Amino acid sequence: MKNRFPSWTLGLLGILLLILVPVIYYLPRAKASTDPAAHIPTKAVHVDHKDIVKGEFKTGQEVTRACLECHEDAATEFMKTTHWTWESKAFDVPWRDEDVTIGKINQINNFCIGSQGNENKCMSCHAGYGWEQGKETQQANPENVDCLACHADTGAYGKGLFGNPAEGVDLLAAAQSVRATTRENCGKCHFDGGGGNGVKHGDLDESLYFPDESLDVHMGGEANMQCTDCHWTEDHQILGRMIADNYTIDPKEQVSCGQCHVDQQHKDERINTHLASVACQTCHIPAIALEDPTKVTWDWSQAGQEGREDDHFTYLKIKGEFTYEKNFTPTYLWFNGDNEYRYILGDPLGKDGVTYINKPAGNIEDKTAKIFPFKLHIAKQPYDVKNNYLLQPVTSGKDGFWTTFDWDSAFELAAPITGLDYSGEYGFTETYMYWATTHMVQPADKALQCESCHGENGRMDWAALGYPGDPIEWGGR
Amino acid sequence: MKRHTLITIIGLSLLALAFGIRTVLAAPTVAPVSKASALHPNFILLDANGANVLESNNAVSTMQTCGQCHDTEFIASHAFHSDLGLSDYNTSAETWDSSDGIFGQWNPLTYRFLTQDGDERLDLSTAEWLMLNGERVVGGGPATSSRDGSSLEDLKTSKENPETSILKNGSPTTWDWDKSGTMEMNCFLCHLEAPNTEARTTAIHAGEFGNANTATLIGLSIVSQSSEGWAWNAEAFNENGELKSELIGIQDPTNSNCATCHGEVHPETDEPLTLNACDLNYPQTATTGQVVSGQRINESGVNLTDKNDIERSWDIHAERQLQCTDCHYALNNPAYASELQSNNPDHLIYDPRSLEIGEYLQRPDHNFARGESAQFNVAPEYKGTMRRCENCHDASKGHADWLPYIETHMDAVACETCHIPQMYAPAIQTYDWTVITTDGKAVETCRGVEGDPNKVTSLVTGYEPVLLNRTNIDGQQLLAPYNLITSFYWVYDDANGNSRPARLVDLETVFLDNGKYANDIVSAFDANGDGKLSANELTLDSTAKTDVVKTKLEALGLINPRIEGMVQPYSINHSVTRGEGAINECKTCHNAGSRVAQPIKLAGNAPVMPVFDVDNNVQGSGELVTGADGALYYQPIPASDNIYVFGSSRVSWIDWLGALAFAGSLLGVTGHGTMRFLSSKKQAQGAVRTERIYMYDIYRRFWHWLQTTSIVILLFTGLIIHRPDIFGAFSFRGVVTVHNVVAVILVINAALSLFYHITTDRIREFIPHPYGFFDDAIVQAKYYVNGIFKGEGHPFEKVPTSRMNPIQKATYFGILNVLLPLQMITGALMWSVQKWPQFANALGGLPFLAPFHSLVAWLFGTFIIVHVYMTTTGATPLEAMRGMVTGFEEVEVK
Repeated sequence: MKNRFPSWTLGLLGILLLILVPVIYYLPRAKASTDPAAHIPTKAVHVDHKDIVKGEFKTGQEVTRACLECHEDAATEFMKTTHWTWESKAFDVPWRDEDVTIGKINQINNFCIGSQGNENKCMSCHAGYGWEQGKETQQANPENVDCLACHADTGAYGKGLFGNPAEGVDLLAAAQSVRATTRENCGKCHFDGGGGNGVKHGDLDESLYFPDESLDVHMGGEANMQCTDCHWTEDHQILGRMIADNYTIDPKEQVSCGQCHVDQQHKDERINTHLASVACQTCHIPAIALEDPTKVTWDWSQAGQEGREDDHFTYLKIKGEFTYEKNFTPTYLWFNGDNEYRYILGDPLGKDGVTYINKPAGNIEDKTAKIFPFKLHIAKQPYDVKNNYLLQPVTSGKDGFWTTFDWDSAFELAAPITGLDYSGEYGFTETYMYWATTHMVQPADKALQCESCHGENGRMDWAALGYPGDPIEWGGR
Repeated sequence: MKRHTLITIIGLSLLALAFGIRTVLAAPTVAPVSKASALHPNFILLDANGANVLESNNAVSTMQTCGQCHDTEFIASHAFHSDLGLSDYNTSAETWDSSDGIFGQWNPLTYRFLTQDGDERLDLSTAEWLMLNGERVVGGGPATSSRDGSSLEDLKTSKENPETSILKNGSPTTWDWDKSGTMEMNCFLCHLEAPNTEARTTAIHAGEFGNANTATLIGLSIVSQSSEGWAWNAEAFNENGELKSELIGIQDPTNSNCATCHGEVHPETDEPLTLNACDLNYPQTATTGQVVSGQRINESGVNLTDKNDIERSWDIHAERQLQCTDCHYALNNPAYASELQSNNPDHLIYDPRSLEIGEYLQRPDHNFARGESAQFNVAPEYKGTMRRCENCHDASKGHADWLPYIETHMDAVACETCHIPQMYAPAIQTYDWTVITTDGKAVETCRGVEGDPNKVTSLVTGYEPVLLNRTNIDGQQLLAPYNLITSFYWVYDDANGNSRPARLVDLETVFLDNGKYANDIVSAFDANGDGKLSANELTLDSTAKTDVVKTKLEALGLINPRIEGMVQPYSINHSVTRGEGAINECKTCHNAGSRVAQPIKLAGNAPVMPVFDVDNNVQGSGELVTGADGALYYQPIPASDNIYVFGSSRVSWIDWLGALAFAGSLLGVTGHGTMRFLSSKKQAQGAVRTERIYMYDIYRRFWHWLQTTSIVILLFTGLIIHRPDIFGAFSFRGVVTVHNVVAVILVINAALSLFYHITTDRIREFIPHPYGFFDDAIVQAKYYVNGIFKGEGHPFEKVPTSRMNPIQKATYFGILNVLLPLQMITGALMWSVQKWPQFANALGGLPFLAPFHSLVAWLFGTFIIVHVYMTTTGATPLEAMRGMVTGFEEVEVK
């Protein structure tokens, strides 16, 4: 023992410690940087199913049956999700006596209005088959779960009427192509929702299939992030809720920048003081619909004109008049993540001439609210003049408005389905719908600068937000 | 019915849609809010006689109009923007500057000389001065008053008087001030949202000074001009004959108002900024490249090198919405009361007895708080009155998380030096008036741009300002960024014996003939014989060319024409960037090629050696050197400003001396060692009897090796700090920290060791015994030069109580009593510069201490070489070292 460690090694150790300890203590340290990419969940490598899946498949349900042989719980898991139910949990809303659920299944928006009675068309975006069976039967059968919509190569699969596979799809090829969900899978419905590219969301459209870094700092360039990198998914439950289809949203169910950008502060203290009142999105998403235009107005009252030429961006006989805009400034509102109001079928029209389909909650007094960017979609949509509520027409199908161009019959057809009486007199009224803007995030050097909001030409309407004046001079809240 | 209703509904909806949606969609974009004060009431526009212009149809008088409520007499008499040097106009035989302002101060860029009364030749008369400079003259002062203070209109008209004459076709003619009118201080120019500066400039250039202020209102639906005179639009006035104030938009001056005269300002966000470069109509930008805009540089329209990567804004203060007036405020504005109370007694933090707002509005002091720029000297009594960086920013907090030696840096370096690291707009480099272009201009050269500065295809490279030592009003000296503009011009002696710059009209006579170069000039200058003068040819680069011009000037009667040159510093204080964009790398300055000593190009060809302008607060302590490219450069010499920059500054003779000592001792021990090795082979081995003795107790070994490690680390880190250019891999800041920490360890170790040696009395071992010291030393020395080679034993026995021979004792006595304390003291003083610079300064400051510290370090290095070698002279070469490690040493026994 003594031979191995002669006593002088102790002295040497002591001397080294005496020097190293203070030196290391005083040495300037670079602050530990938090790499947001480290928070992206690592996913298992997907097994190639080419040689696993054996055909032949005649219907989508047969494919699902094959999937369930190995993925036994997949369908039951999936059937608990809103992607299947198209319906939120029950909310106790103050203006109704009974709890209500919200979703495409039972409520309306101010785009194509509502899916009830229009299942043959609308359900091409539902991850399930067999809507011709009717809602109850369709929803009850696990084999109706459409695994391919989210897992097949989008080049090998497509959906047609009543949520069933489109005519001519090679189901075996589609089933063999399954892989982890990509932006293409999600994009099929979420980029083209509302009837075409970029109609609904101003921040989600087909430009995100192959985005440049300048379009979206997360999905573009080398980062090439997939939807599920932020919309974390477990047992088919996907994180993230839309205010369009909810009343309030539990923050635990919502995607946030802070999932990955943990303790990542700006270097500039002045910017950090904004964080209490300004959402990340407000500065880092300076404009909506950067590449492809998005619909900002939709006037249903103009639908059905004989002889007027159709044009995808301005007028369609079946849908009416629209305006599209691209690269425009969002509308800014205080937003605490919830809705203050969500129109429920049968609700009366708004009193001041505008009916809100949804109205984000929050105001300057609300400490949980931050200034947040929205796309505002303004529509003229039908309402029942006598009953003073919005109407949902049956548009698709051989008796729907898109074939007959007769509003009355479209409303009469819908009445038994929606359960809302049609008085026989309809009009068109203005409706507002707000869409939160959270994608197409820009890097720091493209974020808003002081003068974007403050000063003479700033973009904020301080008075509308509840400030006495520009907070750079009048002080913040 | 149904169809009818439908059509009605559709029709109404269409209407509603057209209006409703339009308005709603428009709602998110807020219309620009007018900054014009809603408080300013309607007011009557008065003419010079005090009559409503609606009735008189005369030009408006701002002094009368604004004077209805504001004390315009007070304002005009408290406004250096108006005075422009007139009030201290005084001819001087020594300089060409008859005042401190642009009315009288000769500027080699604008060149024309404001002729003084009695001058032989008329160059610039007051009237022509106003025509040339008037668009950037606010009015009042020299635009209404003569040099002796009387009204210009009262002057007796004479073409001999430079105040009542003008140069026409080369000879003086009279100027009738009654006809031209004079130009009152123009309140509109700075207090209107959108003054018509173009119409005003047109009037001024035409010499219609009396119309200039009214012209400022053209285009605001208030007044129009016809051949008959002014036509006031009755609809712009209310029933009381008052101008509707919303039409005129009275406001506090904005950056755009200031930009009218001072330089490039770009308030809009979206429209890409473009520049008017090197254009004296934008003097601040032309002379320095300063641009005031909150726009990100990569979003601007300037064709800049690597533009995409420049994410900073042109100016952080503009980005953060500051207005010019936030720092350059009216000096009696009660909003700035706390700034204005620097003269309070010490115990009084705030004196509430300030002006009431109403009193201020009646008599706002229009002497604005100003800085200490090098070239703009009007109203020098107000220099340093403005808000500077430190009035708003606490540098000690802002830099606390990364910058070592904050106080030291702040005491030597102006904030601008690091926070304006680079100019992104071109700036004037040279104005050569020794030759002129066919349109009567100097040959101008711009820095920071490749090609014509105002062509969109030219690549703007920007430039790094040169750092010069500035002396502030309070005496503090700071390194600050500057542009240097060099000008060359012909000078002659006039008949009165006064030297004057050659008049432009004389240069035109010399060089031009009907708008083209005169034949004799072409034949002298046209080197390639193509009949044209190219840019390369149009320069005085040979005595032959110079002589041609000189002869022609002499022929015009100019006595002793000669070329002079001047280098003028222009201060850079705007175009600031925040931390990330500032210089924040130690090695930018603390390295070879330091920014502090970075030269700047002055001129491609210098017809004479220019002199550094002395008439300002900047020390031109560097030297003018001709570079390898033949161009003239200004080379800063930080040492002559008493600045020592670690890693950059060096005293080369000290390094040479130190290296020589080091190398010499290395050579010596190598030689000595080789000889020992060779001689040892000739001798029989093992003749000496040795004994194993416990020579060094544990504490001695410990403090020795701790000291050894410390000294080696200190020498090595010191070397890196001294020459960071050789050791690029090390972080300068980290190395400085290690050096400081280890130095403290060394001092503590030395102190403890001293304590040990004193208390144990062992200190005696180190003290040479005076008796017979020299004899003993000679014996020892003889041993080293002779005996050691013959295998003789050591002359003095090494025992635990007396381990050292006389030479060793003397050496250690020197090392421990001289070198070590010196190094500790100089090091501590250098470190203490940040807190107590007075101690270091008393001993010559860093420029003395630092080289001294280096010298002692060299001696320590030398000592180590010899010391290590000496340890090999024990019983066996490694025995002494083993002794210091284990404590036991085999020593020779007699």
